[in-house]
Amino acid sequence: MTQTPPSRQSGESASFVLFPIGKKRFALPAATVTELAREDEPQTFPHTSPLLAGVLLRRGRIVPVCDVAPVLIGPEAPLRKFYLIANRSLSSGEEWTAIPVSGECELTQAGLLPVTGQLPGYVSGLLALQEEIVEVLNLDHLLATEACL
Amino acid sequence: MKLSHSRSRRKAPASQRESAILFTVAGIVFAIAADAIDEVRNLDGLVPCATASAYQRLDKVKFTLERQGSRYFVVDAGAHFGISGAASPATRLMVMRSIPVAVLVSGIERMHDIGEVRPLPSAFQGDERRWYRGLTIVKRRAVPVVNADSFLTRAEFTLLEANCASTPESMAVAGA
Repeated sequence: MTQTPPSRQSGESASFVLFPIGKKRFALPAATVTELAREDEPQTFPHTSPLLAGVLLRRGRIVPVCDVAPVLIGPEAPLRKFYLIANRSLSSGEEWTAIPVSGECELTQAGLLPVTGQLPGYVSGLLALQEEIVEVLNLDHLLATEACL
Repeated sequence: MKLSHSRSRRKAPASQRESAILFTVAGIVFAIAADAIDEVRNLDGLVPCATASAYQRLDKVKFTLERQGSRYFVVDAGAHFGISGAASPATRLMVMRSIPVAVLVSGIERMHDIGEVRPLPSAFQGDERRWYRGLTIVKRRAVPVVNADSFLTRAEFTLLEANCASTPESMAVAGA
């Protein structure tokens, strides 16, 4: 994971992990990200949960792989090369979830801007970086909305 | 092949280990508690059952088996798990111990002492929550541990009992 220089600041600054899906980048709060894992074929078995692509075994844990790319950028999402593993706090406890992403991730420090305009409910805020506006995702909301959870 | 139910408890913690049968359906490995299975047998003696076309959810039941004076409903595991175009034909029948159900599977891999059965991650929210007791790890693979009671619901049993008219002649179903 590389590190980008601080962006235009607004509000209280915090750390975020930027990740690409296709040509677009999204962000998660760095505190929720556990690791970036290289491509590894998910293990699959029958299920009927949308977005679920299988599971990975990481550090002794069984980690569900939730492919959110079709929700975020549509069905034309290009091949995903890595897994961003995020730690989610659920009522049943903490649980890791792997998100397939298209390329290397970056760590950045930025202020979280409030959502403006008509954005999906899973966007919890915006980052104004030097050349782009990045949507910060609420992973729980995203997966719940899309029935992965 | 009649199963013996000796409980091998080789590794600690004993409380977390159980004997399981690893079976395959279209190349996918599943585990089921050995205690839940009374017999693994070939496909001799299956009798076509003429219910299923009327009840789409029961399409997975195409045969019955008369065994020791009882009738067993034969569930195609590929159809049950929604594995479309199952690549490998059924070659074995697992007869359940405490319910009148037998399950057609592609093959039996082996008996195996499985360790901890971990709960399904919360991301699994569909029918699999009923199908599986959880997941276990066998040789670095996550293997679903099948809930033996999930192959037929009580309602499905009732429908089958009322409507499954077995045809009189038995039929060999190699490749069913």
